[in-house]
This record gives sequence, structure tokens and C-alpha cells, in this order.
Amino acid sequence: MWAKVAWRLFWRELKNGELWVIAFALMLAVLTVVSLSGITDSVRSALMQRSSNFTAADKVLRSSSPFQPEILQQAEQLGLQTAQQIQFNTMLFAGDNMQLVNVKAVSSQYPLRGELLLDTAAGQNSIVAPGSVYLEARLAQILAVRVGDLLDVGAAKLKVGGIILEEPDAPLNLFGGQPRVMMHLSDVAATEVIQPGSRISYRYLFAGSEVKLKQLETDIKPLLNANDRWQQLDRQSAVGSALDRAERFLLLAGLLGIVLAAAAAAVAANRYSQRHQMAVAVIKALGVTAPLARKIYFSHLALVTGFASLCGLLLGLLANFAVQGILGQWIEGYQAVFSSKSAWLGISTALICSLLFSLRPVWRLTAVPAIEVLRQQNGDSRIDYWQLLSGSVAVLALMWLFSGDIWLSGMLFLACAGFGLCLLGFAAVLVRVAKPMAAGQSSALKLALANLRRRLWQNSFQLMTFSLALFLTLVLYFLRAELLEQWKQQVPENAPNQFLVNMTATEKDQIAQQLQQAGLATGTFYPMISGRVLAVNGEMLQEPEQDDGAASRSNQASKQQSSEQSAAQQSTAEPASGRQGFGRELNLSWLSELPANNQITAGQWFDGPAQVSVEQQQAERLQLKLGDKLTFAIGGQQFDATVSSFRKVDWNSLQPNFFMLLSPDLMEHFPATYLTAFYLPETQQSVLTALLKQFPTVSVISVAVILQQVTSIIDQVSLALTLILILVFAAAVLVLVAQVQATVEQREQELAILRTLGARGRFLRQAVLYEFAALGLLAGVFATILAEVLLAIVQMRMFQLPFNLHQSLWGLGPVTGVVLLTVLGALLLRGILQPTPASLIRRALHN
Amino acid sequence: MSVTPELFIQTRQLCKQVALPGNTLNILTDINLTINRGDSVAIVGASGSGKSTLLGLLAGLDVPSSGEVVLAGQRIDTLNDDARAELRAQHVGFVFQSFLLLPALSALENVTLPAELAGQRDATARGKQLLELVGLSERMHFFPAQLSGGEQQRVAIARAFITQPAILFADEPSANLDSATGRRVEDLLFELNRSQGTTLVLVTHNPQLAARCQRQFLMDAGRLTEALPMAEGRSHVG
Repeated sequence: MWAKVAWRLFWRELKNGELWVIAFALMLAVLTVVSLSGITDSVRSALMQRSSNFTAADKVLRSSSPFQPEILQQAEQLGLQTAQQIQFNTMLFAGDNMQLVNVKAVSSQYPLRGELLLDTAAGQNSIVAPGSVYLEARLAQILAVRVGDLLDVGAAKLKVGGIILEEPDAPLNLFGGQPRVMMHLSDVAATEVIQPGSRISYRYLFAGSEVKLKQLETDIKPLLNANDRWQQLDRQSAVGSALDRAERFLLLAGLLGIVLAAAAAAVAANRYSQRHQMAVAVIKALGVTAPLARKIYFSHLALVTGFASLCGLLLGLLANFAVQGILGQWIEGYQAVFSSKSAWLGISTALICSLLFSLRPVWRLTAVPAIEVLRQQNGDSRIDYWQLLSGSVAVLALMWLFSGDIWLSGMLFLACAGFGLCLLGFAAVLVRVAKPMAAGQSSALKLALANLRRRLWQNSFQLMTFSLALFLTLVLYFLRAELLEQWKQQVPENAPNQFLVNMTATEKDQIAQQLQQAGLATGTFYPMISGRVLAVNGEMLQEPEQDDGAASRSNQASKQQSSEQSAAQQSTAEPASGRQGFGRELNLSWLSELPANNQITAGQWFDGPAQVSVEQQQAERLQLKLGDKLTFAIGGQQFDATVSSFRKVDWNSLQPNFFMLLSPDLMEHFPATYLTAFYLPETQQSVLTALLKQFPTVSVISVAVILQQVTSIIDQVSLALTLILILVFAAAVLVLVAQVQATVEQREQELAILRTLGARGRFLRQAVLYEFAALGLLAGVFATILAEVLLAIVQMRMFQLPFNLHQSLWGLGPVTGVVLLTVLGALLLRGILQPTPASLIRRALHN
Repeated sequence: MSVTPELFIQTRQLCKQVALPGNTLNILTDINLTINRGDSVAIVGASGSGKSTLLGLLAGLDVPSSGEVVLAGQRIDTLNDDARAELRAQHVGFVFQSFLLLPALSALENVTLPAELAGQRDATARGKQLLELVGLSERMHFFPAQLSGGEQQRVAIARAFITQPAILFADEPSANLDSATGRRVEDLLFELNRSQGTTLVLVTHNPQLAARCQRQFLMDAGRLTEALPMAEGRSHVG
């Protein structure tokens, strides 16, 4: 029979709205966890899939040893798709013309991801046919060949099959690299290019599910050589770092959202417990034992938890589906990712929230003694240290569960707890200060202030939670804006999408003039020359270990573009000791002014002759100190330069960047070519075509496609950030609702007394609204101060962004506080602010 | 301690003390009291004299600091909370000053609540019957907030009688009502008490209400004295 009574009570409480706040809070916590972990997984997977397009596969294994059939067999046994690729440099001959080229020989399955587009005699297609070679457009120009002409590749004679229009894993050496040639893998043997000692890069391309790829990685580990490397998404690239920051933001937002939702659940559970103390005392007086009371009320908690978890799960999954849908539109052939991880995380969140936040209040509720029916005291409002402890453990557990990072969770938890205590102290002081201001109650404002002071403890606590909720929302709002702004700066509208290289000094001026006439703005013209670093302080640099990817990876010019496609490689070999050189020529430039996106980290910009400024990572690599002497070699001539400064370079900026910048005096006598970047709108493509016709030796490198991809990724991530901000804001509002509701009864009784004493409805309404406005203002100011402090810490430590004062925060924080709390107060208390004195008094008595 | 069959409640040297910082407050001192089955007993006294505390001890809602309480032949001062709750479920009904109906339940559901919790099957039928007896059959589906104070107290009386308790404790049953409504509620209480053969113990500061009981006790500063019939004068029973 108890179950029938328990169900009836539950149903009625649900209808009365008593349990909704707890249910909403739990649901929001579950929804946050499920949707966030799901969305983060999806976005990560989408970006991986997208980056797969840059590498033409999901995973690439690079080797300097010939293909091992066992590796391919293992992959095929796992059900993975495979393709093979060989890359080498060779001379290409077309009659009297010759050119050093980079050849990429591919198997028929290539590419596994992304799109290859060839312009052949039979139209556009993606088939690399045996017996043919496919050339980059500029190479066809250099060699003066057309489709159908014959070329000599080593010992083989191959026909020009077409021009490469789009290549998923395009060459990295955008500046000064050898032009690309593609051919079929089966023709490589006939070229006789592969000889013992030749530098050949073998690449295994794999595509399939993440689990299988991981399995493959484990399975073939014993087969790998010391120099074999797995290629992965470069986290330093624009996409990588955007994803990285977004993930951190989503994680942080998720954690804060969960804390807020958990706080709302705790406040609501406490309120529920206090409101039902008399009911428990009554049923106990009527003969209900404590175990039976526990059964009744714990069953309520279980039902609410179950219901909220289910709703949270469903909504979270719905959000995931929606995101997957969007991703599907964004990435062609996107494979939706659904893992049970997010569902389990959601259910665990509900259980932790329910057990550690709500169990204790409900336990206390069922322990109310029957004698309370005669005492009829108001609910026990003392601090329950056990609940504080269990709540703290719950918050920490939730953070840990969600982030999997105990350090981050612990720090954030301590920060929240520290802020909470500070706020409580501030609030208590301020509310006390309000005392002299509130002497007498002749105006609504004075009554409001008196009310604030009277509920000192309660108001301090409320102020703390209001401030925390506002503070967290403000922090996220501004961090989100900050991230978006940073990304926007990285890829500003009209960011240079075309790079012109190989211009002579004369061509440079003519081209600048022509572009200006066409209304196109060019940036700096960087002089450029190839040279080697030979020695440091007279000590010759060693040749680096053979690393087929290093040469291209360390290319300094426009590292941004190259790193989109390049690989940060996980070497299986031990790093070699000693001072190693680059093993190739570098692009050197010289400037009298420091480029805008560079920052001196040590030393001075050129203040004398024969100086060099070195990018700081390369300086570390070469173990340089300021004042060291570097010996350079350019075309047989050698000269020395003193290291005058180290520079930090923003590789995420879509601008040319250099490892070594020399003082102009050193380069006066060397013939340089120039490099510049400019934005070319789609509609003005003809300008470029005309330019190339007029200056055939000038090469153009278009990064428009990459830019579009980066922009679209940023757009998607921004959308996810906005969604999460909305969720966190909803959690904050829920905390406020729970807190305001917790005071409804007390207010109802006070209003009844004041109305009985003749206070007019309008006067009381004003007093209540002023009280909320004052609370909102205080909370807003506190939140603003704390938000500014935390933003500074998070920006500098977590996101490595420069700190700047947020002026708009100082307006937005207090205004949001006032508006939000006044509106919520008016909405939530409209029931007790509107009715007639008689009904108000009756309801007050009834409580 | 043995109880003769007609005795329903007996206390011996019942004391209740509350520890305060620095001293001990004696709320009840040496209460010796016997109440027979079917008696109607009023405990009167000023506010804070200890009437409600005594009621709580007699009904097993609380335990004494020292002394004994026997209810329905069982010593309850040695029983734990749950055993006392079970005893209350079997023998005791309550009517409170502020009605204490559960706001989430309708009038009928409030009435049937004790019977349902005790596992009685005919609770709804009996509840309807009792609501009819207290004149509220038309309002059985109303919620407490929709009922007047008098109506709420009548629901509370119906609730008190649904388990057919052997004893009914009433704590200032008409104190929150206007005099006319209060009188109607009191009439109803005594009427049901008579018809059901229930023992009634009520706490009040209203002499007229107390006078309607067979026996009256005066509580003064924690000590209880029985007001004897007019001719016999007042005797100290504590």
C-alpha cells in the first residue's frame, strides 16, 4: 500500500511543480554531459575525417624501407582499406627541357580520403592510369609540354596524361619546392630510379574505423623499423589549434555547466526537504515508521532521477543527432559517430548528482521526528556539513568523470570553492553595511534593504550562488567571444589567399603596380634566397638522421599552409644527440623592420651590421645563445652573422614566416627573388591569369581552398560554442530559480503580515523588486570582478592568449545581474505579489 | 508496573528536561496520571506550561527524560521510534491545532492516508463515509488550500478516526478557528468520540472546551493537578 501512497504523493508533487526544479537540474546536468561529450566526439571525429582529406587517408605510415606485404595483409585482415604511395625526387626530361621534380607514385586505390582531380584528354577524372604521368600546371609551363607528349622519367618513357587540378595530400614545399608529378605505382620499376642508397619515401595509406586503426597500430608494431613514423594531425596547425582550444573551452564550459546544474539540484533538494518536514512529521505521527518514510521519499528521488536521466539522455542524443546532421552536410561522406560513452557518462552524472546532492537532504527529511507536529518550528536551516562534504565530493567526482583530468578538475573545483568563500565573505559584509541605510521602512527601497539585511545568512548564500552563476556565464561568454575573435584574426575576411613567389626585383614592381590597378592590395614583398646554415661558432653542423618528412616539415616559409597537410610525426627512433643542421637549404629573408606577427623573446632587433634573428624553436634546436656566430652559405659564398635576437612566430597567421631573418646589409650583393601574398576575390580570377601569362616564371600558390576549409571548421566550432553557452546559461538560470523558489514561503508569510498591517500591493511589489534588483546589482558586480580575474588566468594559462581588460564586461555584468534577477523575481513571485490580502494570508497560514 | 484492564494510559514520575547552555530546564516534573479507556480528558494551562509536551509523551511522539509511560498496556518510554510509530498506527489518532493536512493530497486522500499506510483495504469507502459524517462529502476532492479553516479541521477529524483508534489526542483543536466554527468542530469531535467509544485526551486553554470533558487537569509550570468535581475541590495528582 505504501507504494500507492508514494506514487500518489509523487504524482501530486510533480503536478504542483515541487519536483520539477530537481528534475530540471538533473536533466540539465545529464543533457550537458551527454550532448557535450557527444558533440565534442563528433566534432573531433569530423575534424579527423576532414584532416584525413589532407592526408588522403585516415592514417598514414611513412617508411624509408620498401613495402612489407605483411603490414598490408594485417590491415586487410582487419577490414581496413589500403593504398600505397612512393615519393622520390628525380629529373624529368622533355626534349631539351629538364626539371627536378617530386614524383608521387600511387596505387590504384589512391586516394582513400579526399578527392583527386585530374584534367585529362578525356575530361576531368581521378584515375592515375599506368603508363602516364600527371603534372602540376606550372611544371607543364616550365617544360613546355602538353597532354599526350612523352617525357623521360629515369629509364622510362611516359605520356603526359593530364594536369593535376586538386590533390588531397598536396606537396608541402609550397615555396621553393620541386614541382609535383604523379604516376602509377606499377610504372616505378621501369624508371629504374630506385637504386640502393636513393632517398625514397614509402607510404602506407589506411582508412577505416578508429578502433580498427588503433588495433592495426598495435598489431604491426613489431614489424616497424626504427625510422618508420605514423603521421597524425598537426595540433599546431590552424585546424589543430582551433580544435584544441574549442575542446578545452567545451570541457571547461561543460564542467562549469555541471557545477551549476548540480548546485541547482542541491538547492532544490534542500528546499524540497525543508518544505516536506511537516508532512513527514505528520505521517510519522500517524504511525509511519522511519524505514517506511524513507521508502516513500527515496522512491520519489529515484523516480525523479530516472525521469530526469531519461529526458536528459534523450535530449542529449537528439542534440548529438542534430550535430551529426550538420556535420554530414559539412563533410562529404561523413561517417556518423555514436558511442555509448556519452550515455554512460550521462547516467553516471545523474546517479552522482542524485546520490551525493539529494540523498542527504532526503535522508534528513525522513529523520524528522514525529514530535515536530507539536513543535511546528520552521525548517532546520543550519548548515549540514555532511551535505557540504558529499556535495563537494560529488562536484569533484563529476568534474573528474567528465574531464578525465584530475588536475584540471581539482584546480577548477578549488577555484570555485575559493570564489564561493570570497563571495560569501563579501556578501556578509555588504549585507551588514546595508543596515544603517535601511533604518526605518518608510519607502519601498528602505524596506527592500531592510529585508536584505534581515535574511543575512540566507541572502549571503543567495548572493554567493547568484554571483557564481552570473560569473560562470560571463566567463564563458567572454572566453567564447575571445576565441572567436582570435580565430577571426587568424582567418580575417579578405585574408591573403594567393601567394606569388619567384619574382625578380623588376617583376616585383610591375606586378605590384598591376595588382594595384586591379584594386587588389598586396602585403609586404619579402625578399627570399635559398641558403644553408653551415656552422655555429665555427663548429660544423652534423647532417640530420635520414628523415623523409623532415625536409618538407621544417620548411619555414608559410609553415601555416604546409602544416595543414604536414605531419607531426611520432618517431619510433631515439633523438640523435649533438648539434644537427637542417640538412637542406632554408629560405632566408632580410628585413629592416620586425614583421607584425613576430615577437622578440630575447635580445634586440637589428642594431648593427651582420646580424641574424632566429625563430625560437629553431634556436633551441640548434642550442643557440645570443651572440653566437652562425655561418651561412649562399651559392658558394660564405658569410657570418651574429645572433642578435630570438623571435616567437605566430605559425597560425596566414602570413609568410621565416626561421632566419638577416640584417639587410648582409644580403645587398645577393640576387633575390620576392614573395608576396594578396587576397583575390573569386570574381577577379582573370587578373591572375593575365599576370601569369605576362610573367611566366612567377609561380602562384593558391590557398583559397584551405582557407575556406579553415573558415568552415571555425564556423562549426563557433556554433558548438554558442550551443554550450546557451546550456550553461540555462543551468545558471535554473540555479537562480531554485534559489528564489527557496525563499517563496518565507516571503509569502512576510507579505501576508505586511499586507495585513496595511501595506499597499504596489509598495510591496516595488520593495520585492528593489530587493532583487539590489541583489542582482551586487551579484553582477561581484561576478564581473571575479570574471575579470579568472579570464586573465584562463586566457594566459589555458589558452595562451594575451590578456586584455574587458571593458564591456563591466557594463554587461551588473546590467545582466539586475535585469535577470529582477525579471526572475517578478516572474517567480508573481503568484504572491498579485493576490488579495485574504488569499495571501490563507496561503501563508497554510504553509 | 502492571496496568488494570480499564486503564488505558498511565504515567509514573514522568519528567522532561531540556539541556540549555549552562543549565537544565524542567518542562515536566513528576507527572503521575491515569486515564481509563473511554475517558475524555482535558489538559488546560497557560502557553508554555508544558501541556503539549505532555501530550507528545502520552502519545509516544517523544520520550521522557525519566519516568514511565504505559499506553494500551505497553510501556512506551523504552520503545524506539519505529516501535512507538507502530503502536501509534494501531491505537492513536491525532487532531492538531493547525490541521496539518498534506497540501498535495485531496480531502479524501488526506482522510484515507493513515488507513492506506496501515494497509487497510476499505480505506476509500470508509474515508467517504467519514467525510459524509463531518459534512464534507461534496468537497472530498478539494485540496486543503481550497478549504476553509473549519473545513480543514473537519477533514483532520475524519482522518483521525479512519483507523478507528482507541485513543484520540487533540492539540488545541479549535484554537485556529472562529468561535462558531470552533464550536461546530468541537461538537463533531465529541460526537464521534462518543459514537466510536474512543478515549479522548485534549489540550486546550479554553475552559469551555475543557469543561465538556469528564476530567480536567491543570498544567502549571510543568506540574499537573486534576481539577476535582466542584464539591471536592482541586487535588494534586502529580
